[in-house]
Amino acid sequence: MRLTSRTHRPPLDMQMTSMIDCVFLLLIFFMVTTSFSRTERELDPAVKLQQAAGQQADLAPTVVEVLARPTGGIVRLGSRELADPAALTPLLSRLDNKQDGAIVLVDDEAPFDLAASAIQACKAAGFSLVSYVPRGLATAAGNR
Amino acid sequence: MRLARRRPTRLGIHMTPMIDVTFLLLIFFMTVHQVSRVNKEELALPQLAGTQEQSESAVTINIDREGRIVVSGQVLSLAELASLVGQELAGVGGDPARLVVLLRADRRGDCRTVNQVMALLSRLEILRVRLAVEVPQ
Repeated sequence: MRLTSRTHRPPLDMQMTSMIDCVFLLLIFFMVTTSFSRTERELDPAVKLQQAAGQQADLAPTVVEVLARPTGGIVRLGSRELADPAALTPLLSRLDNKQDGAIVLVDDEAPFDLAASAIQACKAAGFSLVSYVPRGLATAAGNR
Repeated sequence: MRLARRRPTRLGIHMTPMIDVTFLLLIFFMTVHQVSRVNKEELALPQLAGTQEQSESAVTINIDREGRIVVSGQVLSLAELASLVGQELAGVGGDPARLVVLLRADRRGDCRTVNQVMALLSRLEILRVRLAVEVPQ
């Protein structure tokens, strides 16, 4: 019997299956964790002082006040005080002077959530120019 | 003369470079993802629809629940923030209209620090500030 001189080595083969499993697992992990990161958008109010400073202006913007209360905060539009900023949008929608813009006058102690909601309500009601006016700043400028 | 039989070439996909590239891309995106998040603190932003998509900003100012100002992971005082924004402003040629400032404030906090930052920005004639909000799930 003649034996072959060359030893028959099995072909050196990498086990790809486990590696591809790992890659796909990582891929799925990152896809899932990415979907957990919340989508951020933005509001773009202007920062203004002039109109709130009591100076005479040609335009008469709508003023929404965000005030601090022991219970949290309220939004005041004219004589109406609202605890829920969502109720502000229908009220603002009825106003005609949308091209004059809106001013959101914010107390230092007012919750920021309420201030942001007031800006959002003004935008939703159709005011293109919404100005954020810190109340302290408005008072300081008005006293000058 | 006996010629060796030509062995048929094996049609195979070379997996090694593909896997190299895949891992390289994976590491690249992981790193970029981490770097891009470094300016954004973990905050509970107001849950609102917003008016526009968030754009790239030159300065991202985070204000946490306690009213601390955090920029790029560092807690800053108002004076330090003024200096930083001043530097950024100088970097864009001193034109405030070209400096995009994103303000990320925690919805559970009050407006005291936000008002102070707004006052500071208005002193620097930056009259357009973007407030970050979180789209409700």
